[in-house]
Amino acid sequence: MFHVFLKTLRDKRFFILGWSIGLAFLGFLMTSFFPSFNGGQIDELLNSLPPALEGLIGNLADWRELTGYIGSQVFDIRLPIFISILSILLAISLTVGEEDKGQLRTLISLPISRRHIAMGKWLAIVTICLIASVAPIIGVELGLLTINETLDQMVLVRLGLFTWLLVTALATFIFSIGLATGNRALTTGLGIVIAIGSFLLTTFAQSVDWLKDYEKLSIFYYFPAVDIAKGTIVWHNMFFYLIILAIALVAALIFFPRRDVKGN
Amino acid sequence: MTVIIETKQLSKIYQGIPAVDSADFSISKGEVVGFVGLNGAGKSTTINMLLGFIAPTKGEVQLFGEKVTLANAAKSHRRIGFATGDMSLFDDMTGAQYLKFIARSYGMSLETKTYKKLIQKFDPQLSKKLNALSRGNKQKIALIAAFMPDPDLVILDEPSSGLDPLMQQHFIELVREQAARGTTIFMSSHYLNEVVDVCTRVLLIKNGKLVKDMPASELEATAGKLVRVVTKAKVAPPKLAELVERERLDDRHVLQFVYRDTPYRLQEWLGTLPNLQDLTVSDDSALAAFEDLYEREAE
Repeated sequence: MFHVFLKTLRDKRFFILGWSIGLAFLGFLMTSFFPSFNGGQIDELLNSLPPALEGLIGNLADWRELTGYIGSQVFDIRLPIFISILSILLAISLTVGEEDKGQLRTLISLPISRRHIAMGKWLAIVTICLIASVAPIIGVELGLLTINETLDQMVLVRLGLFTWLLVTALATFIFSIGLATGNRALTTGLGIVIAIGSFLLTTFAQSVDWLKDYEKLSIFYYFPAVDIAKGTIVWHNMFFYLIILAIALVAALIFFPRRDVKGN
Repeated sequence: MTVIIETKQLSKIYQGIPAVDSADFSISKGEVVGFVGLNGAGKSTTINMLLGFIAPTKGEVQLFGEKVTLANAAKSHRRIGFATGDMSLFDDMTGAQYLKFIARSYGMSLETKTYKKLIQKFDPQLSKKLNALSRGNKQKIALIAAFMPDPDLVILDEPSSGLDPLMQQHFIELVREQAARGTTIFMSSHYLNEVVDVCTRVLLIKNGKLVKDMPASELEATAGKLVRVVTKAKVAPPKLAELVERERLDDRHVLQFVYRDTPYRLQEWLGTLPNLQDLTVSDDSALAAFEDLYEREAE
């Protein structure tokens, strides 16, 4: 199991590097923009915008202080979309991607049980998601140095932890579908529907009244980044991700050893 | 004799069409069995079921006396080496890294005699990435990986496709050496001469059904002799001969046929020929024998 884990990390080293740099850059860039959004004419501009736009650009009031700004502009709006793409790409490549290439069959031909293969790959996903969650925090820290601002470290720890939970839960869910079915169309389709659907639901529920009833169906609903940044942690949100993660992992471990694996 | 592979009514049905239909066979320790059939006959599907990649729709596989399921197949894989002609290796690794990974999976090191011998025999390109290697060079790595752990059973699916003639010869030598050590080998192959060369037994599969289970020597014997005689006068072929070609070259007559009767009767017939000018007797190809068998089983 451990060497499947190491092999997977090795296989994904450029993926990890590329995404880490990209997410760190995102954190750095958005943080370094903070002084430009803080006071002056931007207040007038923000006050002139219709409230319905808040779903897309975040709560305008949050922009005026650093904690709210980081929570809103880095973790609440942009990061979920990027890490959703990361989750989909990662989970698909480790499951149906490898199966379509015939590499999963090569792995299964070795004396490694299917459960150990699944666990090795899943541990790699958890690790990659952790790296992907730490990367924007490093970017934010660098951005803070650039603009000579300081932020309570616990703000970033809380945001990083929740980001890790969100991305791991989403990646594990897609990973589970891929391993349990081996069906690329289903895995990709469901992954995209969940990610894009959740993003649209969360974004527009703030301005479209009837969507509010369905907001809880969004995976991002349980990641209120601004509240988390300000110190309000709703524990059942954390449990929601943990439960999704546990159910998906158990499903993968049950169904993967029971289905045919394609050759190339 | 210890039974290594046993299948009972082994069947795989895809959308109502049987890819393998009630295959029953058993292979004992030390046998080298060739598994032959045309493309789509069910060879790879059978091998996939033996290794637990896919589950039988009906029937079962036993390896080393234990029933194989998708979930427990890895247990028997400890004693099995496997390679296919189009095996997907981990392309991002070099040959050396791939073999190290395989060795770790079997809980062994690369310091074994077998590994060193295999490297010497196949002379693979270990430092290049697998995605930069030709098919033949990848195939060498796959074969080394299959034989490296000194397995009790080696399952090979079209193992020598992609190898050049010299490497094919090394492969045949390797199979013979392993067989001499008591390793059981089950291999599907398109190269019938290779099967006849190295196998002790041949299983013939057609449309998912096992149609023949015979000693490899029988396939060789079935192949008969290809006889070519050149005479001054036109002659008729002997009884039971299958005419291949008859032609006239100036004042000479050439007759070519496949002969499967006893050598004594051929000798008798040759004695009756008027003015025999030339005579060639050679082995008919295993391919011809295979085609002949295949057709006969269809009738």
